[in-house]
Amino acid sequence: MFYLGIDIGSLSCDAVLIDEDARALAGAVVPTGARNRDAIRRATDEVLRAAGVSRDQVAAVVSTGYGRDRVDERLAAVTEITCHARGIRALYPATRILIDIGGQDSKCMLLTNEGKIVNFAMNDKCAAGTGRFLEAMARALQVDIDEMSGLDAGAAGTVTISSMCTVFAESEVVSLIAEGAAVNEIVRGLNRAIAARTVSLLKRIAPRHAELPVAMSGGVARNSGVVHALGESLGCQLLVPDSPDTVGALGAALIARERAHLSQPAPTSSR
Amino acid sequence: MLQQYFGELETGLLSAIRGSDGLVNPRKLYSLEVARLGKRLCSGTSPVAWCGITAPFDLLHSMGVTSSFVEFVGALLAVTGVAGAFIDTADQAGYSSDGCSYHRAVMGAASQGLMPEPAFLVGATNPCSGGLAAIECLARHYSRPLTVLHIPQDESGGNVAYLAQQIRVLAGFVTAHTGLPLDRDRLREAIENTNRTRAAMCEMYALAQRVPSPATSKDLSNFGVVLPLFLGSEAAVELACAYRDEFARRCAASPTTKKRETFRLMWIQNRIQFRQDLEKLLENEYKAVIVVDELNDVTWDEIDPEEPFEGLARRSISIPFNGTMERRVEHLQKLAREYRIDGAVSPCNWGCRQGTGARGLIQAGLEEIGVPVLNLEVDCVDDRKYTEGQVRTRVEAFVEMLHGRSSPWN
Repeated sequence: MFYLGIDIGSLSCDAVLIDEDARALAGAVVPTGARNRDAIRRATDEVLRAAGVSRDQVAAVVSTGYGRDRVDERLAAVTEITCHARGIRALYPATRILIDIGGQDSKCMLLTNEGKIVNFAMNDKCAAGTGRFLEAMARALQVDIDEMSGLDAGAAGTVTISSMCTVFAESEVVSLIAEGAAVNEIVRGLNRAIAARTVSLLKRIAPRHAELPVAMSGGVARNSGVVHALGESLGCQLLVPDSPDTVGALGAALIARERAHLSQPAPTSSR
Repeated sequence: MLQQYFGELETGLLSAIRGSDGLVNPRKLYSLEVARLGKRLCSGTSPVAWCGITAPFDLLHSMGVTSSFVEFVGALLAVTGVAGAFIDTADQAGYSSDGCSYHRAVMGAASQGLMPEPAFLVGATNPCSGGLAAIECLARHYSRPLTVLHIPQDESGGNVAYLAQQIRVLAGFVTAHTGLPLDRDRLREAIENTNRTRAAMCEMYALAQRVPSPATSKDLSNFGVVLPLFLGSEAAVELACAYRDEFARRCAASPTTKKRETFRLMWIQNRIQFRQDLEKLLENEYKAVIVVDELNDVTWDEIDPEEPFEGLARRSISIPFNGTMERRVEHLQKLAREYRIDGAVSPCNWGCRQGTGARGLIQAGLEEIGVPVLNLEVDCVDDRKYTEGQVRTRVEAFVEMLHGRSSPWN
């Protein structure tokens, strides 16, 4: 049998299918859009098709993300904090700190040696420094969001973005462009501002983090500039999986497998 | 408008206060007393005093004054879902939108004529400087006399005598502005009622500490902060006894309640006042029960009816929000131990220096004894700022985290 994890975020709906041996067979990332049930169906179809598995071969589904209650076939809904922690430990078993920056949330989690969450912190009150923030900045710079990654190459770090309110930061970027600041310097300034905010969040839960392996998940982890700025601020190299968007869905699939096994009746002896 | 609202609420509660078993439902009795206080405040039958939280309400009761702290009104506006409009009015009048919404809602209600006009006001320097500012604004708004109690930080030196003397002077101030004299016999009667209430509260809290606790998350919501408004009256005695008796009944039937309590939680400071499903979510989906709130405790000794002013002073000084943060953290640690708490929830009410300023120290202090803390960032009065999904994710993740931890008390 197979197990499906679905992570319905504000920007993307991600799915991962695993087999009985907990091997990931396929992953999908589709835009969530306004109708998240459509996104759930598209992401599910995509992983089933890629893995050559039919719907009735899926033994259990666990959902996560802000739209987790919208998955009708779910065995359980589990928060993205638990799912990301579970997913990253499957990929990088040494991880003790996980930074997950998605569409509208930033989260930092502190894990024990065994992978249990002992503390976590999330962004408060506003979504500055998340995927939505980067989208707005890309718009101000008139570049595609995917182009933002690496656009800071060669920057000397001469620009500082002082405002973390998305609207004010956008105005600041527009002013910097008008003043003739180089795009790579502006992008470096933005990356550093996101890193500073994230590090503050991280220090709340792990003030003494220097020795602990840090990993990153979520869509923003695809942006190498942000990852680099974070590594610079923390004084370490971050562990980033090839598909950081699907870490939560992978964790959800692993929990689906575990819970399905737990809910199966114990085999009875026959004479 | 308000008087009609409280009158209808009182009528409804009176008809529903007894269950099918004929027993009084203590939570409904609590709501009934809240409605009755609201009705008295609006009725115009006795002088009204708007006060700070640490005012001696039993003394004012004995003198025939209907009194309340102003945050009570902010909370009522939130419960009824109308706080937002009054907060907007206050903001338009120049109050900072970063300020406490309890006080902004009150200022808006006063400027729109919704608050009953006071005969006088009694501010207090503790626990809340924002509250004192609100009281001073109200005194200016109504052009009514104001007196301020300077609450010392602890009982050292001559602090008790200093505050006791201020409370004596307060009695004279009340007489000067209402014509109501201080009657020693009525004060004695009020103090005796306060002591009877205190005794029942001690028994009730001792029962609430049992495992499993007879208290549900909703039972004692706001209880410790609101009950002082009724102190000195027979109603307060009846209310505390009703809770004590109900908890004793539930403890006797504990096998039926045992299943619903996987985690025991402590709520720090005040609850979220507007309607939301957080407590229900915790209790129904996760069997996580809020068994104690920070202010649900008796921190003061019985008051000697022969020296009432000294006893009232000691009580005002004793509240956990008064004094150093170290003292507050020690009190929270004491509650965590007494109630065998698995985790604590701190709403960190926006604009509240106690809530947000103490956050780090409280978290560190509770984690020191193995109790994790969930810090939320919630405006406890303005429901327009409440993002249910965000709060829900934090709360659910916290409970999932508790599942992975061993109890600090095993």
